[in-house]
Amino acid sequence: MSELLGYPRDSGRWGIRNHVLILAARAAANRAAELIADKSGGAIAVGHEWEARPGDADAELIVRTLVGFAANPNVGGVVLVAATDADRELADEIAARGQTVETVVMTEHGGTLGTVDAGAELARRLSGAAARCRPQPMPLTALSVGLECGGSDAWSGITANPALGIASDRLIAAGATAILAEVPELVGAERFLASRAVTPDIGRQVIALIEGFERSVRELGVDIRGAQPTPGNIHGGLTTIEEKSLGAARKAGTAPIQGVLAYAQAPSRPGLYIMDTPGHDIEQMVGLVAGGCQAIAFTTGRGTPTGSPIAPCLKISTNSRIYERMPGDIDLDAGGIIDGSKTVESVGDAIFETLLEIGRGRRTCSELRGNSEFAIRRVHYD
Amino acid sequence: MRSCDLTGYPRCDGTAGVRNLMLVLPSVVCATQVARELGKAAGAVAIVHQHGCLHVGDDLAHTERMLVGAALNPNIGAVLIVGLGCETVQGASLARTLSERRPRVDYVGIQEAGGTAQALAQGRAIVDGRLAQLSATPRVALERGTVRVGIDRAGDPLVEPLREALETRGFPTCVAETASVGGAHVELAAAGMQAIVSLCGPGEPPLGSAICPVIAVARDREMYLALADDFDLGAIEGTHREHAQLIAETVASVCAGEPTAAERRGALDFVLQRLAVTM
Repeated sequence: MSELLGYPRDSGRWGIRNHVLILAARAAANRAAELIADKSGGAIAVGHEWEARPGDADAELIVRTLVGFAANPNVGGVVLVAATDADRELADEIAARGQTVETVVMTEHGGTLGTVDAGAELARRLSGAAARCRPQPMPLTALSVGLECGGSDAWSGITANPALGIASDRLIAAGATAILAEVPELVGAERFLASRAVTPDIGRQVIALIEGFERSVRELGVDIRGAQPTPGNIHGGLTTIEEKSLGAARKAGTAPIQGVLAYAQAPSRPGLYIMDTPGHDIEQMVGLVAGGCQAIAFTTGRGTPTGSPIAPCLKISTNSRIYERMPGDIDLDAGGIIDGSKTVESVGDAIFETLLEIGRGRRTCSELRGNSEFAIRRVHYD
Repeated sequence: MRSCDLTGYPRCDGTAGVRNLMLVLPSVVCATQVARELGKAAGAVAIVHQHGCLHVGDDLAHTERMLVGAALNPNIGAVLIVGLGCETVQGASLARTLSERRPRVDYVGIQEAGGTAQALAQGRAIVDGRLAQLSATPRVALERGTVRVGIDRAGDPLVEPLREALETRGFPTCVAETASVGGAHVELAAAGMQAIVSLCGPGEPPLGSAICPVIAVARDREMYLALADDFDLGAIEGTHREHAQLIAETVASVCAGEPTAAERRGALDFVLQRLAVTM
């Protein structure tokens, strides 16, 4: 059997899923997108809170995120639900990334009702075309995996995160891509990470990224300790952001760091990268998926069931208690490392093998449950 | 001037709703999937939002104020808070705050319940029970002045005549200053307005609200013709005063129970303004 089975795309990239995405261009199109997905069986609706107000200073960031998300190779075709003609630009940008995109404009159909009929027709057509694609042997070098931790506890940095680091190292050794993110949760680990950069300049970028975040927090006049670690982290035994960070950074193993990516930016070559995202699990996941990740590996100590609408999310518990407590939410348990029944290496290998299975079509808990959380980072405020 | 025969649902704090909603409110984005599922019960509404974790400073206070305010809106007959357990805006404490002010406040925590399936099972039992209570509650006559109406756009020349027309009919008004239309709706809902008049300018498609009926008025003829199904009123011929009278009449019938265009299509928008970056 081939290591992965995927869908080759016009963009030259490969998907490990073949979804039809119904994307709202702005908040006023959310309901139409939802109704289109309901009517077309199997298509996935994504709505969000962006209003596309003229002069919104975050417009570039949000458009880049929506375009990157729609262009993710796990998506075989997109119906963009535009509220007005002004939203067509988004479709042009998605098409420019090599994605199949059909646009339905609400103002051409008298409102939501007419839009749903027209959009469902387009969705059915795209679903039909997607269903005719058969998965083919896919090279491991085409796989990109986002590395996340959410609801961390004191075990995260000892069990699941180091094990994910081993899986990440195996991905990188095989020529694939892995992306570490959540900059606030790297505070305190910047020198350690910078020392692994492939050039001194990239090392400086790593430090600038993390120090820049700390500076922006100081400029806000707030104390990061108000938010980091979170109430759940503290309850789980984490005492400081530095302690949380040193555990979080271990997800990225020991491979050299090839570069620093902006939020939602896709890397141009395989290898290990750091993306500029918040620690917020969903803003982070959306950034990673918009940056081309076809799968997410997500460690959790407190137990969080979230997933991406279009990318399988492999949930790994840091302790067996949470794995047993949340049946159907967590795919793999790293807790055996605590009592010595498993080693970090054996769990790391199991994560790697499970990622390959997911890349051959195995569905994760979050996919089976239909978890489809979505949130876009913002950096400007009124 | 005839004042309308106002009916609705009186609340224990002297306010009254024009709707009697079962609200499913996630304290954090990570609980939105469970909330969305629970909101599929006929008669329930779920808010799907992106927030609730890793806020700092004013942004945290603002987010908590908006979530608490939305849940305390007089249109809400019962509220189920769905939390994850590890989030910044703790669902359990949100529910405690609400239960000090209102009856029929419930909480389900996903981690505490033992995962998604358990949380859904607990949540469904709560929602079914509360919906049965709410459906047994009849509309009763309300005192004049108990239903307040928000207007989402300061600066529109229609605002002053509209305030006059609404207040003459016994609806106190409040005008939002927020640049974001969705943000204005959330703020008006959190401030306790039971209905909102949305004045949509050129190129602006209308939003609904999970909390309040939104009477969407197109201020631009072209936009109205293009999206007629999604508006309640179009750009009307005549003076601002005449236009305002017509809107006020529509507000009265919506408050009496007539569904708005947004309610008919099921648009439950909740666009929360943020004051600072997420950590």
